[in-house]
Amino acid sequence: MSNISTRPTNISRRKFLSGATIAGSAIRVGLPPLAAMFNGNGTAWAAGQNAAVQSKIETRFVLWFNGNGIVEKYWIPSETGRDFSMTPCLAPLETFKEDIHIVTGLDNPAARMPGPGNDHHRSMSALMSGTQFTGRGAGGPSIDQVIAQKIGGTSRFRSLQIGVSQESFGESIQRNMSWAGYDRPLPPEMLPHKLFDRLFGAREDGWVKRKHSILDAVREDLAGLKKNLGAEDTGKVDEHLQSIRDMERAIDGLPANYRKVEQPDYDGDMKDWPRIARLQSDLLAHAFASRQTRVASYMLTKCQGLSRFPWLGYTHGRHHDYTHGDAPSNSPGKLAGQRTMRDICRWHAEEFAYLCNKLRSINEGERTVFDNTCLLYVHEHAEANDHKNNGMAAIIAGHANPKLVTGVHSKMTGTVADLYMTVADDVMNADIQKFPTATQKLGGLTS
Amino acid sequence: MRFSVLLLASALTAYSQPVNAPWFVSNLYPVLEKANCRTCHATDGVAGPTNLVFPDAEASDAEREIFGLQLQRWVNPKSPADSLLRKKPTNRLKHSGGMRIAQNGPEEKLLEVWVNYLAGLSPQELLALTPPIPKRRVAATETLRRLTHSQYNNTVRDLLGDASNPAAQFPPEDFINGFKNQIQGQSLSPLLAENYAAAAEKLAVSAVRRQAKELTFCKPTGPTDGACREQFIRQFGRRAFRRPLEAEEQGRYSRLFIAEAKRANNFWSGIEATVEAMLQSPNFLFRLERTTNPKWKSYARASRLSYFFWDTMPDEPLLALAQSGKLDDPAGMESQARKMLANDQSKVGLDEFIAQWFRFDRVTNQLKDRRLFPMFTRELALAMNEETRRFLHHLVWSNANFMEFVSASYSFVNADLATLYQFPAPTEPFAKVQFPSQSMRSGILTHGSVLVQTSKPVETSPTARGLFVREQLLCQHVPQPPPGVNTNLPEVKEDHPMTNRERLANHLTNESCASCHKLIDPIGFGLEKFDAAGRYQEKFVAHAAQGREEAKKGKVDMELPIDISGQVAGLRNSEFQNPPQLGKILSESDACRACVAKQVFRYCLGRTETRADQPVLDHALKAFTNSQFQFKELMIAIVTGSEL
Repeated sequence: MSNISTRPTNISRRKFLSGATIAGSAIRVGLPPLAAMFNGNGTAWAAGQNAAVQSKIETRFVLWFNGNGIVEKYWIPSETGRDFSMTPCLAPLETFKEDIHIVTGLDNPAARMPGPGNDHHRSMSALMSGTQFTGRGAGGPSIDQVIAQKIGGTSRFRSLQIGVSQESFGESIQRNMSWAGYDRPLPPEMLPHKLFDRLFGAREDGWVKRKHSILDAVREDLAGLKKNLGAEDTGKVDEHLQSIRDMERAIDGLPANYRKVEQPDYDGDMKDWPRIARLQSDLLAHAFASRQTRVASYMLTKCQGLSRFPWLGYTHGRHHDYTHGDAPSNSPGKLAGQRTMRDICRWHAEEFAYLCNKLRSINEGERTVFDNTCLLYVHEHAEANDHKNNGMAAIIAGHANPKLVTGVHSKMTGTVADLYMTVADDVMNADIQKFPTATQKLGGLTS
Repeated sequence: MRFSVLLLASALTAYSQPVNAPWFVSNLYPVLEKANCRTCHATDGVAGPTNLVFPDAEASDAEREIFGLQLQRWVNPKSPADSLLRKKPTNRLKHSGGMRIAQNGPEEKLLEVWVNYLAGLSPQELLALTPPIPKRRVAATETLRRLTHSQYNNTVRDLLGDASNPAAQFPPEDFINGFKNQIQGQSLSPLLAENYAAAAEKLAVSAVRRQAKELTFCKPTGPTDGACREQFIRQFGRRAFRRPLEAEEQGRYSRLFIAEAKRANNFWSGIEATVEAMLQSPNFLFRLERTTNPKWKSYARASRLSYFFWDTMPDEPLLALAQSGKLDDPAGMESQARKMLANDQSKVGLDEFIAQWFRFDRVTNQLKDRRLFPMFTRELALAMNEETRRFLHHLVWSNANFMEFVSASYSFVNADLATLYQFPAPTEPFAKVQFPSQSMRSGILTHGSVLVQTSKPVETSPTARGLFVREQLLCQHVPQPPPGVNTNLPEVKEDHPMTNRERLANHLTNESCASCHKLIDPIGFGLEKFDAAGRYQEKFVAHAAQGREEAKKGKVDMELPIDISGQVAGLRNSEFQNPPQLGKILSESDACRACVAKQVFRYCLGRTETRADQPVLDHALKAFTNSQFQFKELMIAIVTGSEL
């Protein structure tokens, strides 16, 4: 999809809205008219036009997740420091070598606490939230949500959850990476045209006012219902109330005539994951550029994912089968499975590089959106075959904070939560101060 | 090392205390917890049928004391050293769970102390010592149940005549406790709330556009026609909220109506806004399973009946019945339940239950190797689900013995399935066919739907099949492999072909795997003559790791004989030689019968059973048994038996 379209957005789903666009209408509440911040093309921050706004360019955070683990020998660079070579899995990030910090050697200790679930469930809950799997979901809020609670409060969307491949075993812990709290999954939006609607769907003038009246009535209903419930149910009502509040903000913060983002194609193959990934990345980049959110989670493949990879030439088995050596080509099977995994991990990096590139293609003043973003890239396990949850590898990309050291591969001693806390507090300035299983800041990540 | 010294020290303290029930709780009980006895010896554990069931994790000390004393049942008073309580956990006598307590260690010593103590107690003494049974905790009190996506679709269809199935676009639902309607899984995320809002907007607009006349029975005289407005809010609200509106709700929606109708100078805009708001209200999205508001109780009952039997909102006669108070007495509830079961809509309700219980979603999402199983198309997967659906409907509506669901020697197949199963073609699609004599098929155990969802793309998985039986048919929870275990099976090589039984041998010989896999795999071995697509195979075809080049050359896989004998460990006399025998064992087992009742309970109530629910389950199981296992009787007993 192209970045900019001059033709009007084609919204067929609401006939009553047809013909009505938000172009030219005074933008409603809270935010200053965003169009003023862009140059004539609507593509960039108007450099020097408004110094106050310029100085307040916000930083963004992306938590990027890939299902299943890696093959360490194909993924982890053998050298540490600045002088490392890109491995087969990381090759797509070659052009970003100076913009990333590769961290390896991290531990995910909560994955090993005895409790319910299989290795995948346990690793996922621990990796996202630093807490033990509950038997249904994560035991606490995920790191993206902890950060969103601190820095997401003034955006149109406190955070976005985006997903791509849907092929999975279907349990809650396997399908969701973001968690609002104990057993409270935040499902990712998997469909580009629905994500488009949320972000850029056009609205008529009276719509906002009407929506507010309606949500007011719903909120009063919730208060009324609460009186008729026991204490156990009030949690559910409170959650609904929170969702209503989030929605009210989303209604208020409709973006100005930022630009015409072209609506994704409804007719394409909805199981063509690379296609979906690129559509989702485009939309996320535009969501950032139009200042609709500061925090996003991105689930390319599911926990214990079962994707097939026809575009890589692997149709014999599924993602998880390959991790355990189910080999599509001749024996020894385990090695062949590992080579398949190498290509799958490379594809993960390819899509990540695509998003980085997309963010870099959008200017913000003298810099680009990529320069104002911090992306954290994690895999479910270290060595996939063993469900290994120590010696984990991660990538931190972007220049949200000049203090972040990039162009380096560091082998570190610490936990994934230590990394999260360091990124949250020292890169994103989110001031979270603590996170389960975090005990220290990691030295060497920031200068 | 340090650990055992500590243990020894605590053991020494233990000997200086008087041995009694509190001693058990503070000394032996922690040992048994550490040995993980409770993982299997739980109501829903794989060792549940042994009747040695540990109190749950939140049990009080008093409950643990009672448990400790009740262990006397497994003590031999004449020869304490020969007690099962001593010999099983130490694996001196073969224990399915293996050696949980090391022989001759300090822990066995503690066990011995307790066994000796129990051996010395007479029945009268035991009775005198047993503390009164602590008051049962009340059942789960969460009562808000969100409409499932399927219920949402059916409800807006019945409420607005809109068959657009908007929920198909909502974030997919998660399975919790085996179902999609479990209260624990029904959070309301901002994304879902947005989806509800968008759907409400669309539904309201299209409802007004399509069928304004049907929404209200009065003719508005103008945008602010008060009488017509109030009538609409009252009537529509009652159906949307499945109960009459409170006065303040009526007022709230009036205000919304007036504001929007005035703004647009159009009566129908008021209708539209009211519908849109009500469809987002918690009173529409959630239904009350229980309520403190006495005025709503009868209506909560009506909703329970309706969503359980019909998977949709109560119709007008049912709401009227709630209003009349006739649902307040058990007889009224039961007679209405029977009426609703006789209505065709109850087939839709049953469909939803079946589809979740037997995980039809897994069948349609299955992926099979296209080279080996070219016949496995989406159409075939759908036909497999249809077979199971028709078969279970037959059992339910013809009042047959439902326990035949695992043992029946007939099924309902179309031409494609008949080809796959090597049956003669049926006279018409999904007609009933009797299995040929000597057939190895047996009830749903050998339905394509079950065989396919418990297989991998290429191979079968005896482990997945065993788990299916444990979890779906026996309601037993099998612990997952411990962290860090290498779960890879040995590879099949050309020079060393192996059947799955041979490849899984490690599961049964390695101590740490065997304690669980002994309970799982031997069930699945019984189904090994059915391949990953549900076809019958006399010989096992071992697929060596093979590339495309070899496949093109038409390389022949190796064939091996299959041993399909097995056992359902934990059930008495459960050795079997073939699937029909396995089906018969399950069909006649108390554990499987009780599980059918539990599954209905979980689906109906949206949660797992607690101890407080035992009377309801007992009552339901009795009704089920007394009726020669008529499924309808079970449904009625559960829906009417549990408290509102």
